[in-house]
Amino acid sequence: MDNAQLLLLASIGLFALGLVGVIVRRNALVMLMCMELMLNGVILSLVTFAAQSATVAGAVLVFLIFVVAAAEIGIAIPIVLLLSRQRHTLDVGAYGELKG
Amino acid sequence: MNLLTLIVLLPLAGFLLNGLIGPRAGKTFVSLVGCGLPVLAFAAAVRCFLQLQGGDGAALLETAYTWAVVGGTSFDIGFYFDRLSAVMTLIVTGVGSLIHVYSTGYMKDDASYARYFAYLNLFLFFMLLLVLGRSLLVTFVGWEGVGLASYLLIGFWFEDPEKAAAGKKAFITNRVGDAGFLLGMFLLYHVLGTLDMDSINAAFNAPVMPAVSASLVGVLLFIGAMGKSAQIPLHVWLPDAMAGPTPVSALIHAATMVTAGVYLVARLNGIYAHAPEASHLIAVIGAATAFFAATVAITQTDIKKVLAYSTLSQLGFMFVALGVGAYGVAVFHLYTHAFFKACLFLGAGSVIHAMSGEQDIRRMGGLARKIPVTFVTFAVATAAIAGIPPLAGFFSKDEILWFAFSSETGGSTLLWLVMCFTALMTAFYMFRLLWVTFLTPSRMTHEAEHHVHESPLSMTGVLVVLAILSAVGGFISIPHFLEPLLPLARAQESLEHYEKPLIVLSVVLAALGLAGAVYVYRGGLARADTLAARFPRLHRLLSGKYYVDELYEAVLYRPLHWISDRIFLGVGDRFLIDGSLNGLAALAQRAAGRLSRVETGNLQFYVVLAVIGVVACLGWVLGHG
Amino acid sequence: MSLANGLLYFFVAAALMGGVLMLVARHPMRVALALIGSMISLAGIYATLGVHVIAVFQVLIYVGAVMVFMVYVIMLLDVRDPSFLQRYSGSLLSGIAVAGLLAAALAAAVSRGGAAVALGADAEAAFRIQPFSAGFLREYWLHFELTSVLLLAAVVAAVAVIKGGRRNDG
Repeated sequence: MDNAQLLLLASIGLFALGLVGVIVRRNALVMLMCMELMLNGVILSLVTFAAQSATVAGAVLVFLIFVVAAAEIGIAIPIVLLLSRQRHTLDVGAYGELKG
Repeated sequence: MNLLTLIVLLPLAGFLLNGLIGPRAGKTFVSLVGCGLPVLAFAAAVRCFLQLQGGDGAALLETAYTWAVVGGTSFDIGFYFDRLSAVMTLIVTGVGSLIHVYSTGYMKDDASYARYFAYLNLFLFFMLLLVLGRSLLVTFVGWEGVGLASYLLIGFWFEDPEKAAAGKKAFITNRVGDAGFLLGMFLLYHVLGTLDMDSINAAFNAPVMPAVSASLVGVLLFIGAMGKSAQIPLHVWLPDAMAGPTPVSALIHAATMVTAGVYLVARLNGIYAHAPEASHLIAVIGAATAFFAATVAITQTDIKKVLAYSTLSQLGFMFVALGVGAYGVAVFHLYTHAFFKACLFLGAGSVIHAMSGEQDIRRMGGLARKIPVTFVTFAVATAAIAGIPPLAGFFSKDEILWFAFSSETGGSTLLWLVMCFTALMTAFYMFRLLWVTFLTPSRMTHEAEHHVHESPLSMTGVLVVLAILSAVGGFISIPHFLEPLLPLARAQESLEHYEKPLIVLSVVLAALGLAGAVYVYRGGLARADTLAARFPRLHRLLSGKYYVDELYEAVLYRPLHWISDRIFLGVGDRFLIDGSLNGLAALAQRAAGRLSRVETGNLQFYVVLAVIGVVACLGWVLGHG
Repeated sequence: MSLANGLLYFFVAAALMGGVLMLVARHPMRVALALIGSMISLAGIYATLGVHVIAVFQVLIYVGAVMVFMVYVIMLLDVRDPSFLQRYSGSLLSGIAVAGLLAAALAAAVSRGGAAVALGADAEAAFRIQPFSAGFLREYWLHFELTSVLLLAAVVAAVAVIKGGRRNDG
């Protein structure tokens, strides 16, 4: 296995770990952090491909993804805050209105 | 010169006019249209008849409309006017017009006057289609149509459920016969490739016979005739059909519709002349019907029912004549029967009118002085049907008896004996009717007696015309007129010398019947009642009409009803159809209930489901990519 | 094994370890610290590959801004609620199974082969700060402007969310 394959497998592993975290953890903030982990896994694979092609475009793409990730977390956390203020809990199991 | 088409279309126009605008147009308009158009049709028929005579009997042909062209065959609506059609058309339009005129008086106070004349004209249209049709198909359309008109008219006062049921019974019994007719038609078409009746006759008369049993076709078509002309076992509708207005009974169930079966067999004589088994069957059934109907008529107490059974009996006579090969003689009896039976029915209508609706002869009597015109015409017609010379019935009935005895194709002494006995009974019950209704001392209630009045001219005038025709109609020898078309049956040589004695015998029978009736009923009903008390079981059997209706009810109606109720309704409709539909709905509901468990409201569960979907897609791409 | 390769293996292992720690830690603060560790390991991977610009930005933006924000929020909120006592939801086993399936599918796709990546030298040229920024602002200036619009929208949205939330709470 060469480096590219190793890195890609690592990115798959990070993505899968993040996915598991989103599914199994009950705290809303922890779920958000696991989503960040998933995103980082994807960025790792993108960087691997960028290093393969060795053009500026690859780096620019990754940079723009950073920007978007920052914006996203900037919105997501206030939303979670407000939700938790309503129910006075961070447990996602408490939000079950969509049942049935 | 589309006279034939005109004859057929005039009554149809009457139906449309009276049916659509009649109720609003007033009684005068309806009477004018309703009676005028049939009279015009009669005039056109006379014109065609003169044309026929001028052409020395060559048939008039008209094709009105090509209905369908299938393969090589063309199905047309075509009309055919030869001597037989001429006789039938003149009777239908002539007697029909007279009865229309009578109806203007009889139905004067009825609320549905326009509807009545519309239906009556409709009937005339279909009957003319039947009689003038060239192809069996056109005749069949007319056949069905007269059945429909009969249903509409029998159940004319449909608010009374009994009358409506009578209409239904007539229609359904006719349909049973029509099944046989249809099968016969199909067989004929299959073998001959044509349904034109003249071609069919020619094919059967040709040296090389078609490859089908003539008897089979003959029997099938006769089944249709049995239904329409009320022969045993499909006779049960005719007595019940008396629920309709009396002019309807006169027109449809005496003079015209019930003779359609006779017309059919006479028209297709080419088949029957080569079908000895079928002819034998026809003769036997005719004789049986004639005999049994006459025995029942002796005990009936409703004036119209007596006449109904009398019609059944006379139709039996006609079929006996057909069965022994005397086709022209049967048509002759049809012709005279139309006159005197119509006169009798209309006379009965006049009596009912005078008695303000009473129909039971046990409550009549002594009417001769009060309604003289009705009495005289009724008496003339009674004498005609009994066979008293020189009235019309004598000639036709005597010819039938002669050929029943002596015909080479089916005549036998036994058949003749049965018919003689029937003729004796005919005379007896008809004179019984005359005496009990008119000549015995009155048994009327005081009120009814007070209201008895002679009928208006529209009714009595028609009665007089028909009585005259019953008297002199026999002198026009129809069998000889029809001979080029319907060859006379051949009498056996050895029996030739019996002809004169037999004529004398038939007159003696008529006189015996008259004497018997006078003896029993002269003073009233007392002697008849003691006679009935001496043979109670026989009397019950006869007055119960041999319990045929009850038999049909038990054997046919109840099992059918059970099957319909338990099997078709219970199992088929409720369990299978409703069950499957309800089951499908329930299934959908339960499936939806189960499927809705997917929506747990739990976000993480949804994510799992999404990822499963993604994995599936990936797997597919990797597998097939 | 050269130094570069060894470092690579080390950082990869560290990143994966951080991920696993995230799953098993109970206190959200520990989860955040594990994530920070993962991210720094990723930055190390990028540096080993020679993509220095990205490595720096990873630390600056992701760890320095995003994760700090996260840590502040964790510190502010009371995290001792039912989710603290019971870490895992009902979909534990199905989650692990499904993620495993996904990983397997993706790994199968990856192992079909592709071009090998050379580490280090060639990459260095394009991924130093000077060529990067020159190329960035010369060719991708439109994208740059659009991202600033995006950030503006995010700011506005965050303010609106908080203000609206405050109004609801009264």
